[in-house]
Amino acid sequence: MKQLAEVHAELGYTVYTDTDESVLVLNGYTSDLLSDVMGNAAEDSALITIQAHKNTVAVASLIGIKAIILCNGRTPTDDMLASANEEQIAILGTTDNQFTASYRLAKVLGIVS
Amino acid sequence: MLPAVLAMEAADTGVQILALTDHNTCRNLPAFAEACEIIGITGIFGLEVTTREEVHVLTLFNELEQALEFGSWIESLLPQIPHSSRLFGNQLICDVSGSAYEEYDLFLYGPADIAYDDLIEETLNQDGLVIPAHIDRSANSVTANLGFLPHLPYSAVESIAIPPVVETYEYPVIQSSDAHYIEHIGRRRCFIRSEKNGFAALQEAFSTKNISYLGHL
Repeated sequence: MKQLAEVHAELGYTVYTDTDESVLVLNGYTSDLLSDVMGNAAEDSALITIQAHKNTVAVASLIGIKAIILCNGRTPTDDMLASANEEQIAILGTTDNQFTASYRLAKVLGIVS
Repeated sequence: MLPAVLAMEAADTGVQILALTDHNTCRNLPAFAEACEIIGITGIFGLEVTTREEVHVLTLFNELEQALEFGSWIESLLPQIPHSSRLFGNQLICDVSGSAYEEYDLFLYGPADIAYDDLIEETLNQDGLVIPAHIDRSANSVTANLGFLPHLPYSAVESIAIPPVVETYEYPVIQSSDAHYIEHIGRRRCFIRSEKNGFAALQEAFSTKNISYLGHL
């Protein structure tokens, strides 16, 4: 478990949103199929994905996901950012791919050593 | 967007053939059919199906009844998740006068539990036209989600950019508005040449590739 501020400080990822950084991130979930995220992701997770659009925020909000990490250099659309700020879901970006982002996040969260 | 307002706006813009293809439902088609009849615009009846791979595919039918039957089959394949109107918007079902008589509770974002290839086959079996939607978009397109355009007997493919920026092989290419809001109506369109009318004209234009993109509505 880590505060969002610590997560992105340690990962060095770009932060696109202006949300409460004291929220706690418990776990991660990696998927590019939103129906899979909806069915299987846990709340208080960070979602690792390349789906850089507004519907990702809606799905994250339904589940209670706290942050979306956009991989492979993908950047959020304007309406995705607006919706993320409104829903208080952080959007981070990285050139890491989903595999790399997953093991780095797992390490930061202390899930693996 | 109310079905009757959609038909009126499209007619005002100069559209002559208009398809209503809501995501994964046909429930607004009866009002749309009635409105098209009154306004004198050719309505095409369909839906935009989300496949298991989260690829969006347009399915179009000649008769309202065919579309309604296909639509209720697709609805039966949707995940049993309640809809959130706050996050995804209202899912109103309207009559021709614009009164909403139902707020549909099933999550129409999908996906329907059917594979992409099977949807193509089943639509053609039901005498529908089947068109992979916005194949050049980075989300929910066959190109983005599968990585390539599988060689299947599509009626046509829909591209946002003309000329297309992705491989379309020998398939007929259409451009359409994908209007989710009133102001989007007619923002993209294409022209067909045919001696026939309505659905038959579309079928003929696709098979002869008599489609052009130049000109004004």
